Amino acid sequence: MQSDVKKKILLVDDDLDLLEQNKILLESRGYQVITADNSKQGWELFISEKPDAAILDLIMEEHDSGFVLSYRIKKDNYGKNIPVIVLTSAAYFTGFKFSASTGEEKEWIKCDEIINKPVVADELVQKLESYFSLKDN
Amino acid sequence: MENSHCPKILIVDDEKGLRIGTKRLLEGEGYFVETAENGYDGIKLGTTTEFDLAIIDLKMPDIDGIQVMKEILKVYPDSVCLIATGYASYETAIEAIKFGAFSYIPKPFTPEELFQKLSQGYSRRELILEKKKWKQEREERLLEVAFEKSRLNTIINSITDGLLVVNKNGEAVLFNPSALKYLSFDQIKIEENIMDKLHPQIADLINKFLSSQKCEQKSFSSEVELKPNREFYVEATSSPVANPDGTLAGVVVVMKDITELKKIEFLKSQFVSMVSHELKAPIAAVYGYLKLFSDISIHLSEEQKLNYLNRSQIRLDGLLKMVNDLLDISRMELRTVNKEIKEIDLYVIIKSIIELFQIEIKKKNISVNVNSSEVLPCLLADQDEISRLCTNLISNSIKYNRQDGSIDIILSSSGNYIILEVKDTGIGLKPAEKAKLFQEFFRAKNEKTKDISGTGLGLSIVKRIVDSYSGKMEVESEFNIGTSFKIFLPLRNGIKNKKQNAGN
Repeated sequence: MQSDVKKKILLVDDDLDLLEQNKILLESRGYQVITADNSKQGWELFISEKPDAAILDLIMEEHDSGFVLSYRIKKDNYGKNIPVIVLTSAAYFTGFKFSASTGEEKEWIKCDEIINKPVVADELVQKLESYFSLKDN
Repeated sequence: MENSHCPKILIVDDEKGLRIGTKRLLEGEGYFVETAENGYDGIKLGTTTEFDLAIIDLKMPDIDGIQVMKEILKVYPDSVCLIATGYASYETAIEAIKFGAFSYIPKPFTPEELFQKLSQGYSRRELILEKKKWKQEREERLLEVAFEKSRLNTIINSITDGLLVVNKNGEAVLFNPSALKYLSFDQIKIEENIMDKLHPQIADLINKFLSSQKCEQKSFSSEVELKPNREFYVEATSSPVANPDGTLAGVVVVMKDITELKKIEFLKSQFVSMVSHELKAPIAAVYGYLKLFSDISIHLSEEQKLNYLNRSQIRLDGLLKMVNDLLDISRMELRTVNKEIKEIDLYVIIKSIIELFQIEIKKKNISVNVNSSEVLPCLLADQDEISRLCTNLISNSIKYNRQDGSIDIILSSSGNYIILEVKDTGIGLKPAEKAKLFQEFFRAKNEKTKDISGTGLGLSIVKRIVDSYSGKMEVESEFNIGTSFKIFLPLRNGIKNKKQNAGN
């Protein structure tokens, strides 16, 4: 971590176990983590807490999917400046690969990164840090 | 005569000397000869056996030669007749030729003259026979061809596969009604170039041969979606049609309707991806906890450790249940479940299931009432399956019930059915959820269900069991008020059990 103030990460996933695990992982890496188990609550937390980054599960049964939530965040005046990462296991069971590696894809999907599950802690942290350092510098 | 076949000759003449002399002469040369001494006998002989040649005297006391010849020709038009006549009656002889005589032979005749005439006559006879044989063969062949063609047409028109033949220029040559239907054409004009009108994939299959104009003996196949959204799928196969010299004459395309197959394939792959997703979720959860335990940079409190171990166990239990449910479904699907049909008492089964759930019932303080009409007929069914059915329904009515709620289980009979009703005061279903209720893996997910574990397969199994007994079920539900399941099981009929049927 470069700054002394802990970065605040919004985590949204409707699998409570994965939510808990990713929370512990990120906390152990020095982040402050706020969690929501559906996109509606996630949006409310985003508005009230103004997190430094958002990590969203793609497939959620209730309300909107991770893509819709990331779209709303990216459309927001504050949200357009924070990194939004979407987690998905879609590639594993449909063979359909999402990607947000090119600028065009980022524009279309309205998120900064798509990471396949299961999440590797160091990969996630590395991605977050690269966004934060870009922004800080 | 050179012929190996022994020519048959009839001589009709009233002159005894001539008859005998000629007969002897001809027999010496290998002819088979019969004679008649008058017109009447001549007609009789000549119309009962077919002679190759007949030498008929023009002037006979009873019937004249021309009349005899006419009678013979009526029966055997291919017999060759020679009219023997004296010098005086040439004119009549020539007239005889008009009536069908091959030639005439003047009397008296020398053996040489006779042989010459006979030889000519016999050549004529052979020609006639050959022509006749050829004509007959031709007629037979024409008939055969006509029959073959109509038979082929009938076959082609009646097959359900679509068939289209184009020539090497891509012009339609032959097609059947199925092809019209498959390709959504009102009509195809013969010799109309249809390549541009065809689905590009089918045109490609044809072009594989047309572009090279080579007649290689191989076929190309591809699956073509003729109507989108899996509505109409065909497997199209193209093969070359060869000319006798081996060059390409055209291409035949056979289209087979594989829509149903595709639909099943799609459902199956959908199910597989659903299953793998559902199986993966608990694995990912347990995997994630293990990662936390092994991550050296994470310090977990004893309480956390205990909680995570507990959660892992719950997720693994769920996984195990799901695998068991899936196996049940697959067994039901393969119909390897051998129903052990016997008389069972639903009331007893339900009572014992409620006993099994006592802990959960007490935890939520649910009151359970079981009502059975006094004269409930015995059900003929497999005890394990019916127990499974009741367990799934009762377990749901407890799981999704509220604290201090109630469950009413009512057993009754009506006509040929036993009716089991399980009514709870649970969270109920929203209309949209009700429609998806029996889908595999469907679970109503909202604030109220998030802490309730389940595989999403329970009701799907209930439905399969009910279906296997040709029963039916009804669901009534109101969100936040409760749900009621009514199961109708037929008393005797409709038990789908092969063994049972075979045994009877």
